[in-house]
Amino acid sequence: MVILQLEDVKTGYTEKKPVLKELSLNMDNGEFIGVVGPNGSGKSTLIKTITKVVNPWEGTVRIKGRDVKDLSRDQIAKIAAVVPQDTYISFPFSVEEVVLMGRSPYLGRFENYGIEDKRIADGSMKTTETYRFKERKINEISGGEMQRVMVARALTQEPELLLLDEATSHLDIGHKKEVMDTIKEKNREEGLSVLSVHHNLNLAARYCDKILLLDQGKKHSFGRPEEVLTRTNLRAVYGIEAEVHRHPKDGSLYVSPVEDNIRSNDAAKKMRVHVICGGGSSKDLFRELIKENYGVTAGVLNVMDSDLEKADFLDIECVTEAPFSSITDRAYKNNLDMIKKADAVVVTDFPVGNGNLRNLKAVERSVKDDHELILISPHEIKERDYTEEKKAVKLYRKLLENKSDVATVKSIEGCLNHLRIMRTKDK
Amino acid sequence: MNHPLKKHFKKSLVAFAALTLVTLVISLSLGSVHIPFKSIVEILISRLPYMGHYYPSYPDARSTIILYIRLPRILLGFIAGISLAVSGSSMQGVFKNPMASPFILGVSAGGVLGTAVGIFFGIWWPLLPLMAFIFAMGTVFTVFFLGRVKGTTDITTLLLAGLAMNFMMTALTSLILFYSDPTDRMSIVAWTWGSLSGTIWNEVWITLTVALIGSALVYAYARDLNVMQTGEISAKQLGIDVEKTKIIQLVAASLLAAVVISFTGIIGFVGLIIPHASRLLVGPDHKKLIPISALLGGIFLVTCDTVSRMSGEIWVGVITGLFGAPFFIYLLIRNRGETGW
Repeated sequence: MVILQLEDVKTGYTEKKPVLKELSLNMDNGEFIGVVGPNGSGKSTLIKTITKVVNPWEGTVRIKGRDVKDLSRDQIAKIAAVVPQDTYISFPFSVEEVVLMGRSPYLGRFENYGIEDKRIADGSMKTTETYRFKERKINEISGGEMQRVMVARALTQEPELLLLDEATSHLDIGHKKEVMDTIKEKNREEGLSVLSVHHNLNLAARYCDKILLLDQGKKHSFGRPEEVLTRTNLRAVYGIEAEVHRHPKDGSLYVSPVEDNIRSNDAAKKMRVHVICGGGSSKDLFRELIKENYGVTAGVLNVMDSDLEKADFLDIECVTEAPFSSITDRAYKNNLDMIKKADAVVVTDFPVGNGNLRNLKAVERSVKDDHELILISPHEIKERDYTEEKKAVKLYRKLLENKSDVATVKSIEGCLNHLRIMRTKDK
Repeated sequence: MNHPLKKHFKKSLVAFAALTLVTLVISLSLGSVHIPFKSIVEILISRLPYMGHYYPSYPDARSTIILYIRLPRILLGFIAGISLAVSGSSMQGVFKNPMASPFILGVSAGGVLGTAVGIFFGIWWPLLPLMAFIFAMGTVFTVFFLGRVKGTTDITTLLLAGLAMNFMMTALTSLILFYSDPTDRMSIVAWTWGSLSGTIWNEVWITLTVALIGSALVYAYARDLNVMQTGEISAKQLGIDVEKTKIIQLVAASLLAAVVISFTGIIGFVGLIIPHASRLLVGPDHKKLIPISALLGGIFLVTCDTVSRMSGEIWVGVITGLFGAPFFIYLLIRNRGETGW
């Protein structure tokens, strides 16, 4: 059965400037469709049009075969629920009160929440693991918890179609996965249809059965991830050169932008600094290094790691690895190559687990090479060593034994100072 | 402070209702002439239908004081407290801002101007409330008109339009003050601080009718107001008619405030701090907030007016400010560092 149908929809906010143009889409019950496209391509407008917040200028939107024009807001809200990108709530409602708002379309004007409504809300709070803090005030929980609460509220609407409007874009990688996994489970087990707008191509590729690629309000392509996320399509829509890989473990696609030659040559002329980081530990380091005109490289970083997102933003050349995957031989070797080319290697205070332990091994192996090695806060490794048998602690101990070749700093500022001194000496 | 009465909402409602009765009776007995409780009860009962046989009516002055001076005044105070507090709760909800008050759309500034114009041109005094009301609602509808953007009511534009109209009306009032003679000037200034003295029963019936209708409308759209706190688009996607809710809330809230101040003059602070205090007690759910605010507002204003009566008719707006502001500061200090009112 078709749950959602768009027919030649054209709409926008200001006259003569349509945001969506001639958009058609058929979505079957139980499908998980991702919508991707550059900023301003009409992704969020699509969700607003489906939920009658924006009316189509031309064409029709049908939910379960009925034109949304003929449906009341209550009727739409009983079928389609939205999880917004971010929510600001001005007064300190409890988590439970916010989740219960999901029952609103089912209640009469003077009716109060009944036992059945509370049971449904409890159920969705348990699914999203928000039940244990249901008494807490909504403005005192974290961003990740907040998004889970909004998913719980949407599920409390008992929808047949869930619409995600970049619902995970402000979350860190762990929370992204948590929220998306919960929704995927609902999709698989209960046949919930999901239309999910994504900024992040890799997230879309990982979770969606089909992908709709929008370009300036028009459908560029639609189909299975491997049909849509191709080099040609990405070049045409985003104007980037990208490699499309398959995840070694689960076979899902992932995309990583490729370095073009001009930039690498650029890095060759300057003093080269290779940064080993992860999990957001690089903080402002990349930006500061670029500002001070070093040639910066980094690795190995998993796709979807926030440090990689920062590096991509600054056009920093990186050795990348598939999302949520351990470092493979290929990446390990590429990383060693980059370390060899560097004049200095900076190791930030990133959390070390079994997956990225090979980053430290690479450093240890190249410690005698002809370059400066800077460790940020190496003595606090105990607190961020998540490996079995404290392997990271041991590796750090080995590194610190070579005192003459290793510099220890406490902060990013200290690291930058050290590099400055090094550069003046060289001259 | 963590909404101590949230879990005991029904009990709290009963407790506050009982407190209301106690306040009303104590207030009736207090004043320049002391009247014992027993007499008050007898006088009141004698006025009930069919009770006159058992309690022959008190022919003396005490009966007159209770029935024609204190009772209407206290009831108007109670109704005014309810109206202003409910109006404030509604405005704070619509503007999603704990700093909003019943006067945010220019009700008070318009009301003052209407009164000033009336006094300046020597209009027959019983018509002054009508002047205040016309100017108050005139200002509100002007602000409304200015706040309409592309067929919807834009909250930010509305706020700014309200600000501009407030300034405009205040400036015009000052112009009138400048050209007025000292006696008129004093009457206008007195009006801006509010008073419940000289209340007659007709005022009670009119404000009571509006308070019932207005509060019922605000309460009917309480859950819609709750959902709107998560954002207007989000509320629409949850089935709420956002535009209708805004208009009903704003019109009902303005009407509640306008009718009250037309008779009493401007009584500030009640509509600002009572919703605050109530939110601290029962949380932000408007289904609970509005009833509790109403009772708390009534009790607070009756108490303040009793102080006013006992202290030689100091303007009641001065008393609400003198009581209210320190309490407000106390709440501020107590909640410093905690997020969300």
